[in-house]
Amino acid sequence: MKILIADDSRVMRQIVIRTLRQAGYDDHDIVEAEDGADALAKVGSEKPDLVLSDWNMPNMTGIECLQALRSSGSAVPFGFVTSEGSPEMRERAANAGALFLIAKPFNEETFQEALSGVIA
Amino acid sequence: MTTLDSGERRRGSDTRPLITELIDEGTVESIAQEAWISLVGEDEVLVPLPGGPATDPVSSWVDVVGPWTGSVVLTTGRRTAEELTRALLREHSPAVLEEEDVADAFGEIANVVGGNVKAALPGPSGLSLPDVGSAPALRNPADLCRVELQWRGEPVSISVQGALPPLPAPR
Repeated sequence: MKILIADDSRVMRQIVIRTLRQAGYDDHDIVEAEDGADALAKVGSEKPDLVLSDWNMPNMTGIECLQALRSSGSAVPFGFVTSEGSPEMRERAANAGALFLIAKPFNEETFQEALSGVIA
Repeated sequence: MTTLDSGERRRGSDTRPLITELIDEGTVESIAQEAWISLVGEDEVLVPLPGGPATDPVSSWVDVVGPWTGSVVLTTGRRTAEELTRALLREHSPAVLEEEDVADAFGEIANVVGGNVKAALPGPSGLSLPDVGSAPALRNPADLCRVELQWRGEPVSISVQGALPPLPAPR
């Protein structure tokens, strides 16, 4: 399985990768994107099986990336990993087609709960 | 009966909330503790004791724009910001840290703390990308919720501070 991790913070991408491994998802290919526009391009070129994306990023936000993907016909499974976990943000994410929203700060249990039905 | 519109109600709705009416120090400290455990390490605690002014201070912050508008500002010494960066990077920590690494890591801590502070405030609000440098000026000392903590014996302060000057006193 190939997982695309989109976050403008390199440090946070590494923390997400580390938490995935701690949660037991340690044998998957990881592709990194540094903003929403990069993620949109890499969904096309890398064909990931899952996108884990930050919300607030320069160039293109995570929600704009998700909307662009759905508009273009892509149904790639998409979840947010973001510092903004309010009910209104969760509703916006779900309405745009996101499978889940993991709020920062998170731990491996948070990842397991969100990903158990998504990653084989 | 004729009711005269004195304008009181309109003036009343024009007032802005102060941060002290919306969030308290205990909530900000709790948010920071959770961020530290998740990002810095499971055994890393923030001790709720004032550590005095930081040596060679550096700040990271995010802006919240909404019913309450201001910044969530973390301030510590530059050496401590570097230590935090190494803690976040763990095995990926390079021998020599670049300024960019410190801005990324210290900014991301402000992003996580600020995002959770924003979620505790009335919305809808927008959240900026993090910035790192000299702290934004304190515009209204009454519109401030500040906690002073220590990490590994070094001072770390978190200020949730309004971006707007005080309103004129009612006549």
